[in-house]
Amino acid sequence: MNAPHLHLILNHVPTVGTAIALGLLLLSLLRRQETLTRVSLEVFYVLALITLPAYLSGVATGLELEKMPDISVEAIHKHHDGALVGFALMLLTGLASWLGLWQWRRVSRPSGLNTGIVLVLALLTITTMAGTATMGGEIRHPEMMPEGSTPTAGPNWIHAASIQALVTDHTWIWPSLEALHFVGLWLLFGVVLVVNLRMLGMMKAVPFSALHRMLPWAVLGLGINIVSGMMWVIATPEQYMSNVSFFWKMGFLILAGLNLLYVTTFDQAWQVGAGEDASFANKAIAFSAIASWVCVMYFGRMLPFLGNAF
Amino acid sequence: MDFILQLQHSAVMDWVRESGSLLGYPAILFLHTIGLATVAGLNGAIDLRLLGVASRIPLASLTRFFPFIWAAFVVTAVSGVTLLIADAETKLRSPVFYIKLLFIILALVNLQLLRKRVFANPEVDQLPVSAQARMLAFSSLVLWVGATTAGRLMAYIGPVAGLK
Repeated sequence: MNAPHLHLILNHVPTVGTAIALGLLLLSLLRRQETLTRVSLEVFYVLALITLPAYLSGVATGLELEKMPDISVEAIHKHHDGALVGFALMLLTGLASWLGLWQWRRVSRPSGLNTGIVLVLALLTITTMAGTATMGGEIRHPEMMPEGSTPTAGPNWIHAASIQALVTDHTWIWPSLEALHFVGLWLLFGVVLVVNLRMLGMMKAVPFSALHRMLPWAVLGLGINIVSGMMWVIATPEQYMSNVSFFWKMGFLILAGLNLLYVTTFDQAWQVGAGEDASFANKAIAFSAIASWVCVMYFGRMLPFLGNAF
Repeated sequence: MDFILQLQHSAVMDWVRESGSLLGYPAILFLHTIGLATVAGLNGAIDLRLLGVASRIPLASLTRFFPFIWAAFVVTAVSGVTLLIADAETKLRSPVFYIKLLFIILALVNLQLLRKRVFANPEVDQLPVSAQARMLAFSSLVLWVGATTAGRLMAYIGPVAGLK
C-alpha cells in the first residue's frame, strides 16, 4: 500500500465521520442522553486523530500526481488549501471535544458552553470537508465539473503556498520552530511520565483523579508540536512524504493519542484511588503509553538517518 | 581543550561520527533526546504543581521523581559529552554551546535549591506554597526552556558542522 492508496481509504473518514458524529451529538441532545453526548465527543477526538494521516497521505499523493500528465496542478493546490482549512477545523473540533471530556470527568456533568462550541466547530468542519472532497474529486474526475468551468475554489483562508513561503523565506523561523518543538516535547513527555508512572506504581498514595488536572499541559505540548511539525511538513513535504521514519512516527503518534483519550475519560483509569494498586490492564496501557511516546521521539529523531530529512 | 580535540580523532569517535551505523551518532542523539525529555519534563511537571496546577497532588509524593531525574540526567550528560567530543572542533567554538551549558548549570542549582528549601521540609504539604517556592518553580521553567532553546540553536547559529 502506498500513499495514494492510503489517501483513497482515509479520505472519506473526515467527511462521513464528522457527519455521523454530528448526528450522534444532535441525537444525544434531543434525547437528553449524556452518555451519548460523551461518546460523540470521543468520536470527534478519534476523527481528529484519523484526519492526520488522511491529510498527510493527501500531501504525499499531491506530490506524486503533480508529476503526471493531464493533471491540473491548480486543482491539486485548491484541494490542498481546502484540506488544510478542514484539517485545522477538525483539529480544533477534536481539541474542544477533548477539553469537554476532560472537564466532564471532573465535574460529572456536561458543559453546555463546550457542547455549543463543539457543535459550531463540527458544522464548520463538515462544510469545509464536503467542499474539500468535491475539489479532491475534480482532480481525477474533471467530468464532475460543468463544461468549460475551472476547478471549484473552497475556503482558502490558509494557503499552503503562503506557509511554505513564510518558513522558507525567513531563516529564523525554522530554528524557532525547532526550539518550540523540543519544549513542547518535554512539556508533553513530563506530564505523560507523571501520569503513567503513577499507574505503574510510583506515588501510589496519589489518587489518579489528582493527576488528571495536569493533562491539559500535555495537550498544550502536543498542540505546540502539531503546529510546529505541520509547518515543517507544509514547507518541505518532500522531506517527509517518502520518509519511512515519518510514517512510523505518525503511527505511534496516533497510538499515543488514543492513550491520551483513555486516561482522560475512561472510568477504569479515573477510579484508581489513593493507595490503590492499578489493575494489570491499566499498567499495560500505561506502559504502552510511555513506549508509544518514546517511539514517537525515536522516529522523530531518526528522520534524517532512517529517511531523507535534513 | 587540546585533550578533547585529540579525542575527537580517536577511532571510537571517528566511528560514532562517520560509521553511518544507527548505533553510532543517531543512537546517542536519541538517548540525549529521551534524557532531556525526562529531565526537563519531570522538572517542568514539578514546577507546574508548585505554581498551582493539580494542587491535590501532595508535594511530598513528587520527591519520588528526584532519583529518576538524576538518573535521566546522567544519561543526558554522558550522551551529551559524547556528542560534544565527536564534534569538538565545531561545538567548542560555538558561543551558543557555552550559553546552553550556563543554562543547564543554573537549572541544576535551581533544582537543588528546590529540594533543600521546599521539598526538604517534612511539613511541606501542611503549609501553602511559599512565594520563594513559586519563584524557584518559575525560574526552573525559564532555565529549562533556555537550555532547550540554546541546545537546538547550536545546529543553526555560529559554527555548524552539518551534523544534526
